[in-house]
Amino acid sequence: MYLGGLIRKEFGRIRSDKRTLILLFVIPVILIFVFGLTTGGGLTKFFTSAIITLDDMPTYDNFPSNSSEYDDTFISIMQYNTSSWGFHSYYNATDLEEYDNAFQNCYDILRSGDIDIIIVLPRNFSESVENKTNPVLIYHIDASDPAAITAIEVAIQEPIALFRAETDMIANFTIMVPYLEFDVPFWESAILNYALPLILPIIILGTTMNLTSLSIVSEGPLPRMLITPTAKREIILSKLIANSVIMLLQSTEIFVLTAFFGLYSLGSLFYFFLVLIMIGFSGICIGLFISALSPTEQSANQMYLIMFIIIILFSGSILPLGDIEGGMQIFMNMLPLSNAVPLITDITLKGLPLNLTSLFWLNLSSSIYVILAYIIYMFKKLEV
Amino acid sequence: MVDVNNLNVKFGEKHVVHDVSFTVDKGEIIGLFGISGAGKTTIVRVLTCQIEKKHWTGNVMVTGLSPEKKSNHSKILSNIGYVPQLELLNLYFELDPMVNVEVFTSTYGMNKKRAKETAEELFKILDIPRDTWKKRVEKMSGGEKKRLSMAIGLIHNPDVLFLDEPTTGVDASKRYDILSYLKKLNQKLNTTMFIITHDLESALICDKVAILKDGRLLEFDTSQNLISSLPSEGLIARFTIEDLNEKLIAFIKKFPSIRRIIRVGNEAIEVLMENFEENLPKLIEYMVDNNITITSMSKDIATFRRYFQIRIQKEEEEESSLKEVKVIRK
Repeated sequence: MYLGGLIRKEFGRIRSDKRTLILLFVIPVILIFVFGLTTGGGLTKFFTSAIITLDDMPTYDNFPSNSSEYDDTFISIMQYNTSSWGFHSYYNATDLEEYDNAFQNCYDILRSGDIDIIIVLPRNFSESVENKTNPVLIYHIDASDPAAITAIEVAIQEPIALFRAETDMIANFTIMVPYLEFDVPFWESAILNYALPLILPIIILGTTMNLTSLSIVSEGPLPRMLITPTAKREIILSKLIANSVIMLLQSTEIFVLTAFFGLYSLGSLFYFFLVLIMIGFSGICIGLFISALSPTEQSANQMYLIMFIIIILFSGSILPLGDIEGGMQIFMNMLPLSNAVPLITDITLKGLPLNLTSLFWLNLSSSIYVILAYIIYMFKKLEV
Repeated sequence: MVDVNNLNVKFGEKHVVHDVSFTVDKGEIIGLFGISGAGKTTIVRVLTCQIEKKHWTGNVMVTGLSPEKKSNHSKILSNIGYVPQLELLNLYFELDPMVNVEVFTSTYGMNKKRAKETAEELFKILDIPRDTWKKRVEKMSGGEKKRLSMAIGLIHNPDVLFLDEPTTGVDASKRYDILSYLKKLNQKLNTTMFIITHDLESALICDKVAILKDGRLLEFDTSQNLISSLPSEGLIARFTIEDLNEKLIAFIKKFPSIRRIIRVGNEAIEVLMENFEENLPKLIEYMVDNNITITSMSKDIATFRRYFQIRIQKEEEEESSLKEVKVIRK
C-alpha cells in the first residue's frame, strides 16, 4: 500500500482547486445564512390518520352503552370514503386510563411518521350531532413538516363535508388543535429549523458530489500512475479517504454554523452530526461513481447535474415516498435524500434515536456507489 | 535486460505486431523508429504490462521477469520507468516538482529523504533551476516540464526507462538538448532506455535502432552498421541539377552502377551506387555528355534519416512487387 503519498497528492490537488473549495465551504455559509433569514415553501401530500373516539352517547336503545352511531360514521368515512386520507387505526376509549393508553399509542405512531394526525372525537360527539349543535373535532398534527399543517387543515374539510352530507347535518364543526406536535418552539428559529432537514442534505450532497465528480476523469497522470506498482484500488481508496477528510471538515463547519444560527434539536446532537457525515460520505461515493463512469469532464458535469436533479426529485419531499411501492421504493431508497431528510427530521424535531433502517439504506447506497465506481474503474481501459 | 522473442500482438482480427524479436543489454539506448501504426507503442505497452496476455504471444522478459504472469507486474513496474509523450500525463501541474516527486516515489515505497536526494541529483543533472523546485509545475517553461517529466521517470532509479516521443513538440534547438540530457543520464545512471520516436535525429544517441513497419521489425542494429549496409558503405553523391524533373531522374537512373536515387529538393538528388569512388567520375561524365547541367556536387556519408527513408522505400517496393506477382498468378 502506497497510500501516504497518494493521499498527500490528493490533498495537494484539492487545495489547489480553489473553485471547489469555495463551493464546499462558502456556499453552505451563504445558504444557511439565507435560510436562517427567509421562509420555506409548501408541499401537498396524502395524509394518514388514527382516530380515538371517546363518544359514549347511546343514541339508540339497541346500541351498547359505550358505543354510538355518529363516531362510527365518521370513522367509516375516514376509512373508506375520502380521497385524500389514509386510515391507520382507531381506538375506543371509555375512561381516562383507556384514553391515555390510546393516545400514547397514537403518539408513538405519529412520532414514527406512519400517521400525520391523531383525531380525537370527544365524549359528546354523537350527542352534538344528534342535537344539531356544533360537534367538536380535536386533532394533533405532526408539525415536523410545516407545509403539511395547512394542507391537513384543508384536507380535513373533505371528511367533514362527507359526514355532514351523510348525516344531513347543518351545523358546522368546531375544530380544536390543542397544540402542534413536533414543531419548532416559537422561541427558536422556526424557518431555519424547518428548512434544515431538506436544505442541509442538499447542500452537503451537492458540494461533496461536486468535490469528487471530476476527481478521476480530470486527473491526467492517473493512467501513468498505473505504470507504477500502484493498484487501481489504492487510487480509489486514496480518493475516498482524502475527500472524506475534507467532507468531515465541511460537516463540522455546517454543524457549528447551524448551531450558531439556532439549531433546535430534541434529539442527540451527536446523531445529527453523524447523519451529516453519512450524507457527505454518500455524496463523495456518488461523485466517485460519476467520475469513474464518465469518459470526459463534460460528461461528468452533465451526469452530476442529472443525478443531482433526480436525487432532489425523488427525495421523498417532492413525491411522497411512502406511497410508492416495489422497485420504485428501492430506487428511491438508493437515492440519499430520501433517507437523509427523515433521518434529520426524526432527530431534530421528533427527538428520535437514529433510524437504523434509513441509516442502513443510506450507507448501503453509498457502499454500492463506491463499489460500482471501483468496478467501473477496474474495467476502464487506461493507456498512456 | 529486455528479451523479446517472436512477439505477436492481436486485437481481435487485427494483427498489429508480427514475430518481433530483439535483445537489449544493460545500459543500451534503443530507438524504436517507424511511421504511425508501425507497432512501436504496442511493443512498449507489452513490455510495460499494459496489454493483457490474451492479446499477445511470444516470450518476453523485462529485467528477468515475464509480463505474462500478472504476479510479476508489480516487480516489473518497480524496475521500469516511463516518460509519456505529453507532460500533462506525467505531471500534476497544480503541484510543485518536489510534491510531484513525492507522489511518484511513494508509489515505489521510497522514503522521503531518499526521494528528495535523488530528485535533487536528477534536477541538477537536468538543469532544472532550483527556484522552480517549489513553484507550481504550470509555471515552468516547456523545456523544464519536459526535463522534470524525465526526472520523474527516473526517480526510482529504474533498470529500464521507456520514453514516448521525448523530442516531439520541442523546437529544433531544444531537441538536441533533450537528446544530450538523455545521453548524459544514460552515462551517469547506466539506465537502459527505450525511445519511441518519429524523430530520426534521435538515432544520434541510440546504441541500437529498431525499424518497424506495419508491425514487422525490419532492422535491429546499430545505425552505423545499417548505414554501412548501403551500397559503397553509405557513401552518397549529392547533385544540384538545373531544370530537374522526373524524366531526367529516370534517365540518370539508367547509369549502370546506380542503386538508388533520392530526390531531396526541388533541384537536388542524392545518388547511391556501387564502387562509389570509381564510378562517381564516370557518372559526372555521363551527365555532362547528356547535357545535364550540374550546378553543384558534394559527397557525404548517408545519415540515419536517409537510411530510414531508403529502407522504408525498399520495403514498400518489395510489397508492391509481391502484390503484382500475386495478381499475375491469379
